Amino acid sequence: MWQSMSTETFLFETARWILFAVITFVMPILTIGVVRKTRARMQGRMGAPLLQALFDLRKLMQKSEAVSSTATWIFRSGAGIELANMLLLSTLVPWIANKPDGVSSDLFLIVYLFALSRLFAILAALDSGSPFGAFGSSRDATLAMLVEPASLLALVSLAVVAKSTEMNVIFSLTNVLLAHDPGLWFLAGTAIVMASLVELSRMPVDDPATHLELTMIHEAMLLESSGRNLALREFTRALKMTVLFGLSAQCYLRAWDDFWHFPVVAQVWLSIGGILGLALLVGLFESVSVKLQWRKVPEFISYCMTLSLLAAMVAVARGVVH
Amino acid sequence: MIENAHIVRINVDGQERMTRLKTMLHVPGNRLGLITSIDGSQLVTLLLDTNTGRSTVWETPLSSDVYPSLTMMIPQCHWFERSTWDMFGLKPNGHPRLKHNLLHEPYDASLFPLKTDHEVESHDTDRFYKCLEVRGQGVYEIPVGPIHAGIIEPGHFRFSCLGEVILNLEIRLGYVHRGVEKRIVEVPLSRMRFVAESAAGDMIAANALAHAVAVESCLQIEESPRARAFRTISLELERIAMHVSDLGGLAGDIGFAAVSTSMAILRGDVLGCAELLTGTRFQKGFIAPGGISREPSDKNLSQLRTNLKKIQLKLKPIVDFLFSNQVARDRMTNVGILTPKLAADFGVVGVAGRASGIAYDARKSFVHGCFPRQNMVLPVQQAGDVLSRAKVRAEELRSSLEIIYEILETLPGGDTAGAHHDLRSLNRFKFKTNDCGIGIVESFRGELIHLFFTDGDGKIIRYAIKDPSVNNWTALAIAVRNNLLSDFPLCNKSFGLSYSGHDL
Repeated sequence: MWQSMSTETFLFETARWILFAVITFVMPILTIGVVRKTRARMQGRMGAPLLQALFDLRKLMQKSEAVSSTATWIFRSGAGIELANMLLLSTLVPWIANKPDGVSSDLFLIVYLFALSRLFAILAALDSGSPFGAFGSSRDATLAMLVEPASLLALVSLAVVAKSTEMNVIFSLTNVLLAHDPGLWFLAGTAIVMASLVELSRMPVDDPATHLELTMIHEAMLLESSGRNLALREFTRALKMTVLFGLSAQCYLRAWDDFWHFPVVAQVWLSIGGILGLALLVGLFESVSVKLQWRKVPEFISYCMTLSLLAAMVAVARGVVH
Repeated sequence: MIENAHIVRINVDGQERMTRLKTMLHVPGNRLGLITSIDGSQLVTLLLDTNTGRSTVWETPLSSDVYPSLTMMIPQCHWFERSTWDMFGLKPNGHPRLKHNLLHEPYDASLFPLKTDHEVESHDTDRFYKCLEVRGQGVYEIPVGPIHAGIIEPGHFRFSCLGEVILNLEIRLGYVHRGVEKRIVEVPLSRMRFVAESAAGDMIAANALAHAVAVESCLQIEESPRARAFRTISLELERIAMHVSDLGGLAGDIGFAAVSTSMAILRGDVLGCAELLTGTRFQKGFIAPGGISREPSDKNLSQLRTNLKKIQLKLKPIVDFLFSNQVARDRMTNVGILTPKLAADFGVVGVAGRASGIAYDARKSFVHGCFPRQNMVLPVQQAGDVLSRAKVRAEELRSSLEIIYEILETLPGGDTAGAHHDLRSLNRFKFKTNDCGIGIVESFRGELIHLFFTDGDGKIIRYAIKDPSVNNWTALAIAVRNNLLSDFPLCNKSFGLSYSGHDL
């Protein structure tokens, strides 16, 4: 591979990867910052600085760790595995325009790599021996099971029209098969946003700002983590948020016909703007919404499922036309 | 038999106590105030008649440290009997779940802090505590606390769950037991009010008022009409501040950030009004036996009125926003139901009582401030769920504001320290020998009782404080059964109980 590349291409590719790495590190911090800042401003508070998440990470990295006496290596390694997995996912998922191509980007691989992350999160939470970790995992697994068909179906609808399950092909801006299909992109984007809210344990499924252990889903699994372990988990979560928001932002952007013809730089800026815009919307939504009762969460997921089904119907209808 | 303005004290022997208490409590309007002892050689049972506003103290002399428990017949006795065991070593025979309420394992097993009459003999070798165990396939326990995630007081909750459903909740309190009832009889009368108002940090006006009423009832003195007006405003301001705070807390627990933040800001505004009236936001040191300690200026009073009007204008849309949000209503409806029958059996007071069909408000029955007001309309609800408790609070916010406006309209002139101007000279007053004093106040949580007894020298030897939380903690444990585990914080907040008021 390397031999066939000219020096110029090699330098160009390296620069692209470096730029991508910087964006991958900065965007999660900014995304979290925008959500929190929006929530604070909506509540009439000034709120913490936009980069507070970065300061928190720095603080956590310097702190010592308290580890439960029942915890084994699974608990300690969980955070690292999750982060590694999430970093891998960030190179596979087309969450930003003009992302350098990863090794493979099959959508089934991506969906189940997300599931792998969850497996280790659950194992680590169970391993800590805390009852909160246990019921947090149980809730997390239940939600994941319910939301998985919805997110998968949304992506498969796109794949049907693109005639490939490779995300790089589906989201390629030179792929004419999906070039003029704003309806499908919009449905898929919305389904993915709604699925992300469940996946990320945000309102209306879970209140990320709560201190009440008994109502928590994702936070309950983090209660036993501290210091570096917590820093890694917090960053993983922020990265996951960025990647998922990025994926839906890409769908929305492709629903806009002009986007396809913009220069690359503009597309990248619009991608970043799209993620931050979604973060802003989520912040606004979280400020005025009420957390659903646990038994009503499947109802919310069913809305998401309905959108995915609509997307699937659109995709199948197009198949008939062609 | 000793009798003063509000209280009758009679001797009732053990056998008679058992039979009479049950029949007395069947009479509508009668309530069990509290059960305790004076020095460990007798049982004291306080009966309240909410129709006439009179209280009766039954004194039952005991010949031994063991007496027959009434809990199986009258469930609301259970907590009183447990606390009396802790404090006096009087063991209720036949109590179904006799456990230590206040003194935990680290305390010496032979310590009975309030028992003074004779040498103490211990019944137990240690203070072992075991939570009720629920058995069955798939049943698991979740221990929560005593240290909680929020900035709140300590208490241990042991949930027995099946999946996401709570089968049983056992609440263990006593972590902030600091000996208030023992300390309060050690300080001189002039300083007693500071100990009394520290019983619960969010019920300062109520505790100070109950103390003042109790002392005044025993000394048979009366505060001036102007002081009475200010005391009432103070009590109602505390109610408004805390009801606002509790409604905001409910919104916070369902993740309704818009309402919870607005309420937090408003609570600050109400506390600002309290500062205008009393000089401190939490009203410490304001209400004192004989009157009040500080006369608010006319400027402050007119400011107070304008500010309250502003608060009322801001409050209405926020309350409407909370109650009109469909998801918020859905979260609160049919959650944490306390049936009227159980509420009556356990003598539930305050907001939780009125939300479960118990039409009792001490402001309608007992002398304190400008009360009793017989014509008060109580916002009684029958459903007994979280929504009902929220509605009762919202209604009471309105009525409390009206009471304050009305008092400010017709503010009497004159002295505020009453006939006994110099509060520092309170120590000169001498109580009658073997007498008792009682103050019953409707705090924002419900009925608060201060009851004290004097000895042969006219010195206070026993000062009992019954916080409304004592009645209501059990009600919470019952109300959350068969509810979702994730709804517990919401139920808990809807009861809004005090740890320190209970633990003393």
